[in-house]
Amino acid sequence: MVKQNKIIEPEATGMLKSKKRGYILQAWLVLTLALCFGASLAGVQLTLGPTIEENKINETRQKVPELVLGAEKAQKIEEQGQALFIEPHTISIEKPGKKISYSVYEARLNEELIGWVLKTAGQGYADKIELLLGLDPQAKTITGLFILEQKETPGLGNKIITEAWRKQFINKDTGRQLIVVKKGTKALNEIDAITGATISSRAVTGLVNTAIGDLKGSLVAKASHNQPTKDE
Amino acid sequence: MAENIKKIKTAPVIHVAPSPHLSSMALTTRRMMIDVVIALIPVVLTALYVFRWYAAKQLFICIASCFAAEMIFMKMRSKAFSLNDYSATVTAIILALSLPGTAPWYVGVIASFVAIGIGKVIFGGVGMNIFNPAMVGRAFVMIAFASAMAASGYEDSASAVDAITQATPMDAFKQTGITTSLSALFWGPTNGSLGETSAFACIIGGLYLCMRRTASWEIPTGVIASVVVFAGIANLVNPQSQWTVLHHLLGGSLLFGAFFIATDPVSSPLTPKGKFIFGIGIGAFIMLLRLFSGYPEGVMFAVLLMNALTPLINRWTVPRALGEQ
Amino acid sequence: MVDQPTPLERFVQGILPENPVYRQLLGLCPTLAVTNGMKAAVTMSCAVAFVLLCANVITSLIRNLLKPHLRIVIFTLTIATFVTIADRFLAAYMYQMSKTLGPYIPLIIVNCIIICRCEVCASKQSVLTAASDALGQSIGFALALSSIAAVREILGTGMFFGWRVLPISWPDWVIMVLPPGAFLTFGILLGTVNWIGSYRSEKSGNR
Repeated sequence: MVKQNKIIEPEATGMLKSKKRGYILQAWLVLTLALCFGASLAGVQLTLGPTIEENKINETRQKVPELVLGAEKAQKIEEQGQALFIEPHTISIEKPGKKISYSVYEARLNEELIGWVLKTAGQGYADKIELLLGLDPQAKTITGLFILEQKETPGLGNKIITEAWRKQFINKDTGRQLIVVKKGTKALNEIDAITGATISSRAVTGLVNTAIGDLKGSLVAKASHNQPTKDE
Repeated sequence: MAENIKKIKTAPVIHVAPSPHLSSMALTTRRMMIDVVIALIPVVLTALYVFRWYAAKQLFICIASCFAAEMIFMKMRSKAFSLNDYSATVTAIILALSLPGTAPWYVGVIASFVAIGIGKVIFGGVGMNIFNPAMVGRAFVMIAFASAMAASGYEDSASAVDAITQATPMDAFKQTGITTSLSALFWGPTNGSLGETSAFACIIGGLYLCMRRTASWEIPTGVIASVVVFAGIANLVNPQSQWTVLHHLLGGSLLFGAFFIATDPVSSPLTPKGKFIFGIGIGAFIMLLRLFSGYPEGVMFAVLLMNALTPLINRWTVPRALGEQ
Repeated sequence: MVDQPTPLERFVQGILPENPVYRQLLGLCPTLAVTNGMKAAVTMSCAVAFVLLCANVITSLIRNLLKPHLRIVIFTLTIATFVTIADRFLAAYMYQMSKTLGPYIPLIIVNCIIICRCEVCASKQSVLTAASDALGQSIGFALALSSIAAVREILGTGMFFGWRVLPISWPDWVIMVLPPGAFLTFGILLGTVNWIGSYRSEKSGNR
């Protein structure tokens, strides 16, 4: 063993020296490849980047007409070749201890304000639920609800995405808190819970309530602020 | 030392067999299983009385499909088909009693096949399984058919059987805060899984099992003790709650689980100390799930979780050999 | 030097005899995570095929320049580049699918199938062999993924590629769409594959 070590030693130190000398030289392939790949990735990003950004924005925007006007009217407008003018805003709300920012989309048709779409997110039963909420110009009634993202239990909680359930929210008065009830709604501000998924139903309703509570004031202010300019 | 040698000499035959390891020749798997069936009689009778044909139907479906599954899987493993040890019967009855009477037929069939196939045969048959087969089957259908097995699946307002038209006591309390009277929870005319409604029937059957030494008394004692402690703490924290320690004890499938499910000798620890720890763990998980999870009841998941910990508990509680430091 | 397998051999081996999932047990993360529907499984297989093919070809082209102690860096660099391209492409042209697959497309970078093929085949053999190896392995991966996804989607939703194949009265086995279903299905299929394998070898052994 000792003899072997002695034979190897000079060779090893020699190799170490040459290694130290040639770090950059040895890594030439890595560096060249990194440069080539970097350049090609930059190219890919430049060509595809705009499309990806557009996809992200469209995802929300495509839903705006339906949320504000309802499915039938939205389709009519599209057939007539008219397009809504959608302007994104960010509204920040100061709450004790934290600051919350909401994405709000202002929808205009022929210069006239026709409604608002709010984006909000919060904890559901399984994971985050992200949803869009449509309101009329005065933020008095709900005009639509759409679930963008959810991972609720298939077969139970994920029924929040069905139209039949979401439809309940339409035309609800924003002046009163919405309440989830089991089996049969009686009062106007009641939402029927999905059988076996009370938690998911409550989560969505809670999100809607908080979003309205947080933003109603500033939306009304914005609407009245915009109104006079149009009247003049 | 001399004594030791003597002992070994008097019993020179060492049986190597899958657990349950038998300490007495009279205590065979078959005898134990028959004991369990006898102990289940009061529970089955109350289920038949409270749920009528719902219970009969569910029992028939589960027994028939467990037998069929046992037959098919044994044939696949080219082993002689035998129902003589009654283990499939016990799995079938416990499974049926843990299902809601309203569950559609395929729930019982699939649960039985999963219980026997994935719960037992895949591990090598009787005595080799890690998890309680009946609970594996129930967990599978519980997640697969969430709408039939969730609390709301138990109710059918159009049913002619009184119990089924109400919400289960656990769910009624969790959702709307309505408490069920203690006497109803004790005698059993409430809704729930078929075997769980009557605390009285479970106690009679359970005591019989413990007296016959088929079930070790340490496990139910551990479960009940830890539920009492945790429910007591929960009550102290939240004194205005209507759901008292006794409600926690008598309601849901706690007693059924403690006496009949947790005591399965194959998937529970071997030593008395280990069994007690096992019981305490189950009770703690039950209370955790009841108080903090979305489910109204947690016996099934608690038993499965503690089954998974059984090998670990066995390692902790290895009895020290004589003279070992 | 030991005789290296020919391109045809590499291609055939990848499909069944050395199936990446059922035989080598590689790349199990996507196998378990994205097999709750056929569409996702097929998209994932295509993405892996693209990355594997490109990485194998590039590695094979520069195989004579590779230094043993720097090869892993180069493999990772190559794989990461093509994964990023695949990810961006999906986000641009299949936005919904890219959202469904979520982090599992970027995670192809750490998929062992690809680095294993670079190491075993592409860094030692010609471009043609490397390419046919990549194709064989990709087909094997796609077969494995779609076999699991078929079972899960049909039992879990009664549909196949979004088409209803079972009657509407079929009670959906929700568990099959959820993670436990992936483990159960994969375990049972893997057991079946092994069982068939041992049955065959027993038969041929008896002769």
